[in-house]
Amino acid sequence: MAARRPPVTLPVPTVVGTAMRRVDAVEKVTGAARFTGDLIVPEMLHGRVLRSSSPHARIARLDVSAAARLAGVRAVLTGADLLSEGFAGTDPYYGHAIKDRPIVAIDRVRFAGEPVAAVAADDPATADEALLAIQVEYEDLPAVTTVQAALAAGAPRLHEGPLRPGLFHGLGELHREEGNICYHYHFARRDVARALAAADVVVEGEYTFPAVYQYAMEPHTVIAQWGTDGLTIWACCQHPYLVRAELAEMFGLSLSGVRVIVPYIGGGFGSKSYTKMEPITAALARKAGRPVRIVNRVDEAMVTTRRHNMTCSMRTAATRDGRVVARQCRIWLDTGAYADNGPRVAATAGDAAPGPYRWQAVDVDAWAIYTNTPPAGSYRGFGATHLQWIGESQIDALARKVGQDPLTFRQRNLLRPGEDVRPGGKPLDADLVGDVTKVAAAIGWGAPKPPLVGRGVGVGLLAAGAHPVSTAAIRLQVDGTAVLLVSTSELGQGARTVFTQIVAEELALPPDRIRVMGADTQFTPYDRSTGASRSTTLAGKAVQHAAADLRDQLVAIAGGTWGLPHASLGVRDAAVWHETERLSYPDLIRKHFGMAGGELIGRGEVRPQRGTGSYAEGPVFWEVCVGGAEVELDPETGQIRVRRLASVADVGKAINPQLVEAQDEGACLQGLGNALFEEMLFENGHIVNGSLLEYRVPTTADLPDEYRSILVENADGPGPYGAKGVGEGALAAVPAAIVNALADLGVEMRELPLTPERVWRRVRELGLQKSAQEG
Amino acid sequence: MDTSAPSRRIALTVNDRPVDALIEPRELLLDFLRDRLGLTGAKRSCDVQVCGACTVLLDGQAVSACCTLAYEARGRQVTTIEGLAADGRLHPLQEAFAEHAAVQCGFCTPGMILTAVTLLQEVSSPTAAQVAAHLRGTLCRCTGYWKIIEAVVAAGRRGQEIEAWRPVGLP
Amino acid sequence: MLRPFEVHEPSTVADASRLLEHHGEDAAVYAGGTELIPVMRDGLAHYRHLVNLKTVPALDRITGEGDMVRVGALATHRAIERSPVVGARAPVLAQVAAGVANLRVRNVGTLGGNLCFAEPHSDPAVLLIAQNASIVLARDGGERRVNAEAFFEGILRTVRRPDEILVWVDVPALPPHSGAAYARFALHERPTAGVAVAVTLNGGAVTSARIAVGSVGPMPARVPEAEAALVGRDPDARALREAAALAGQAVEVLDDLYGSEDYKRHIVTVLAAKALDQAVARATRPTGPEH
Repeated sequence: MAARRPPVTLPVPTVVGTAMRRVDAVEKVTGAARFTGDLIVPEMLHGRVLRSSSPHARIARLDVSAAARLAGVRAVLTGADLLSEGFAGTDPYYGHAIKDRPIVAIDRVRFAGEPVAAVAADDPATADEALLAIQVEYEDLPAVTTVQAALAAGAPRLHEGPLRPGLFHGLGELHREEGNICYHYHFARRDVARALAAADVVVEGEYTFPAVYQYAMEPHTVIAQWGTDGLTIWACCQHPYLVRAELAEMFGLSLSGVRVIVPYIGGGFGSKSYTKMEPITAALARKAGRPVRIVNRVDEAMVTTRRHNMTCSMRTAATRDGRVVARQCRIWLDTGAYADNGPRVAATAGDAAPGPYRWQAVDVDAWAIYTNTPPAGSYRGFGATHLQWIGESQIDALARKVGQDPLTFRQRNLLRPGEDVRPGGKPLDADLVGDVTKVAAAIGWGAPKPPLVGRGVGVGLLAAGAHPVSTAAIRLQVDGTAVLLVSTSELGQGARTVFTQIVAEELALPPDRIRVMGADTQFTPYDRSTGASRSTTLAGKAVQHAAADLRDQLVAIAGGTWGLPHASLGVRDAAVWHETERLSYPDLIRKHFGMAGGELIGRGEVRPQRGTGSYAEGPVFWEVCVGGAEVELDPETGQIRVRRLASVADVGKAINPQLVEAQDEGACLQGLGNALFEEMLFENGHIVNGSLLEYRVPTTADLPDEYRSILVENADGPGPYGAKGVGEGALAAVPAAIVNALADLGVEMRELPLTPERVWRRVRELGLQKSAQEG
Repeated sequence: MDTSAPSRRIALTVNDRPVDALIEPRELLLDFLRDRLGLTGAKRSCDVQVCGACTVLLDGQAVSACCTLAYEARGRQVTTIEGLAADGRLHPLQEAFAEHAAVQCGFCTPGMILTAVTLLQEVSSPTAAQVAAHLRGTLCRCTGYWKIIEAVVAAGRRGQEIEAWRPVGLP
Repeated sequence: MLRPFEVHEPSTVADASRLLEHHGEDAAVYAGGTELIPVMRDGLAHYRHLVNLKTVPALDRITGEGDMVRVGALATHRAIERSPVVGARAPVLAQVAAGVANLRVRNVGTLGGNLCFAEPHSDPAVLLIAQNASIVLARDGGERRVNAEAFFEGILRTVRRPDEILVWVDVPALPPHSGAAYARFALHERPTAGVAVAVTLNGGAVTSARIAVGSVGPMPARVPEAEAALVGRDPDARALREAAALAGQAVEVLDDLYGSEDYKRHIVTVLAAKALDQAVARATRPTGPEH
């Protein structure tokens, strides 16, 4: 980090901590905001992708000649092209964790929906026509479409050959695993077998979690254009720099030879993280010799990435007086045909499995398994969302077994700030006991309950921040306006607004004098990624440093002009002051350059403070996943009505409290969907509910009667003003709270989502329907 | 466009402006508005009339442009989000969405606002429950709906202004 | 993607029918298009000739004919929901129309289109069967009347001949001392199950019971076993429960992603009990001819 600077007097924050209106609000409410699908590049062609109808097959024959001959079709791309002279120097495989994914299938398809060919035509209708003209024959291979099948003896192996680690898995050394195991994560602390054997009370169970579709309302959209100086991509991508690196490596270009521009993104949630549709669009554009735009339809988006489905077996033990002792957990995540972010999801799931409790012994194994299904990758809150409902339901079960209130049980066993969450990693940086107590109060914990009403809470942590590398620059112009360059993608979370507030605060500039540019790797400096709740914390910190750097420069110019020490100067109202004397920023820049021109550039950087910033050494901060739910069960139909819902946004410092609440609310409803009805249904590797008619997402009809997002600000984050990220916690906490609320009624569920049919069946299994009628 | 395909000339009004165009019967209203007229506010998302991201008003009624033929707009008034703000002034709903942070990624926003317009045309000061019921068939994945409902209720309270607003396309 | 087609604009039903006859399998009736356009766009069907019924005047009218409601084929769900005539004579139909899909579909989708498309997961037909509605089909050279319960043949199949146009639906008034009700269960955009009931009482006993179930089987249908269990009996709690249970047992159910067979049967029982309760309550209300 930079050398210690002398303190500069700053007034009490006036912009940070306020519900400043979003800087992109007007653009978005007037329809002026441009998303990638709204952009047209001159000479642009329209691309469409032919996707495999078999979950596992050899491509016996692929004849695109009829398609290529159609009027208006300009290019057809197949796997054969990738191996041909035209693509010499191109590595057709990509994958940030494991390079196992071909741009289009080469000889073999591994999931139903895998791209087999791509067509570029003058208009979308012609491109569609061309797809119909492509002749393809598949020789089906035995398909393993479940984890069980993929792990069975004699199962066909999806990926042969040496392991090719990708550039950005961040998980240390990757090892070649057996059979269809993509990745294995294990950690253990002390002797869990002995601890379990000696414990007074043990609960155990097997659990199932569904494949879930992120449903960002804007499906993946990419425009690729080749020029003499390289490749330009417009894409709805969350991680433009990681995509740049992958594309550069694949196509043999320098980093500067690839430019990734990110317009507004219509929802990300992880579905647009890392590399998705960029390589195929780039390859098609290269073949066509003209820019190409490819837009996924929703059913295509579903086979581009999804949340991992999972089975889990867990055992948890406690003493009879209510102290947790040990937890053992085995997790199998179905990562689909290609790794995508599978390894990281497995690691995060493994880390989330214990939960933030004072264990004597812990043993966790997590596997990501290849199957012949569409690839699974990031979705908001991954790992924690997978495991928290399981771990927390076992905590509740233990509490009931030892005759303790589940809230009290937690208050006694939860870690306190400063305690180790996992050895070698960052200690706990949140007041979880305070958080769960607040959330319980919000749902009326302890008050008498009407019949068929149950209450539950869920507590967990999500390893947040990903890799702490971010840079930002601010260009202060001679008219006193500033342009902020930072590569955070605006997905809807409000990053541009929060950064504006930080700059306004640090530089005492009115917010309307600050412009934030969207991510463009040609101009906005390096930020590792937008995801893992890291942008306010890390990119925001870089922005804060850049503003401080600029402030120092302004103060230095003023100090030089007045012959005064810097410590005696302050900034206020877009000027540097000494008592009643002032020099405005325009004045200072004019003085510095001797003309009404020039600019000052402030620079900020965030990098790992200790070590390499690796996953094992982190996380940057622990995101709090605390929620509570009060539900009413209709045992006749199995329907659950959420009466009250509460979540905690434990953010250290809310730079914009309204946007924090907005993120928490959105996360709650996604968590509710995941808990109550969202699941992708497969038959032999084919999605059977591949449209919004049959894949159910939350509507206004699903809103709880009462909801509270509880803001907690303990200034305990590493971000600006003590901030830390938010936006994912509720996805993990809400399912846990709802599952526990049902368990409070005696209905323990081991499978999500809690569809009415599943709950009804469980109620009948438990013989509860009679007692419900009599009760 | 396939020049051998049947085509016809249509005249319609879009955001109060007359439009004359040669269309193929199979052209969808959403593509006509986005690709031919450059009105990209209406978005393609689910494509099965469930999400409402493609909502435009046809003679004041909300329709899914993704499944409506451009042909159906002949002789009629189409209102898109771009037609809502008048002379640089935001419609009270647009103002309220901005004020209440009812916008996050913004992809559902044009459809959501236009759908709310149709509610305020009929119920000048709706309750939260009425707003929730009216917006039930319009999806948002980012906000969780609370702030959207708040915004529409708040806009409704500016009742007189809504009534005075040009009721585009209404009989 | 939509492949090219022509849109024809007949000005009479006879013209429309002739167009359908002339173009045969290449033609489809085009009304609201809410079912037709998605099906064509997904490549599940293609028609090179769409016969636009909306250019035929007066097919969207909703009129009272004596006690009966005549609903034109092109009446939208929204128009039906809001029609004062429907509200007065067949209020449960208005309630059903208000619950179809979402407001954009209701603005444009028509009753005739809904019935002819015959998507199993649907509401209006179920009520029409319970209320003994009849469907009038016209072609060049005449019309015929088909009772609603005889209109459906299977998944996406009706008795409508390719050159016939559904022109209106006649919903007779319920007899005195009758009540009708509709109960539905939906998790997705389309319903999982729907039960419609119309009962008539006389001297405290059920003289007529029509129980129709939709969305669980290939087509909406009455459940005569359940009806028979009620006729001649006092509609007390036990009788209604038994009839509801029979409805769940006897109805034809398909296993699909909307639910397993046993769950659907159970839901049908629950819905039937609810609809029966409501219908009986409405039938026993003291004032006037009630629905």
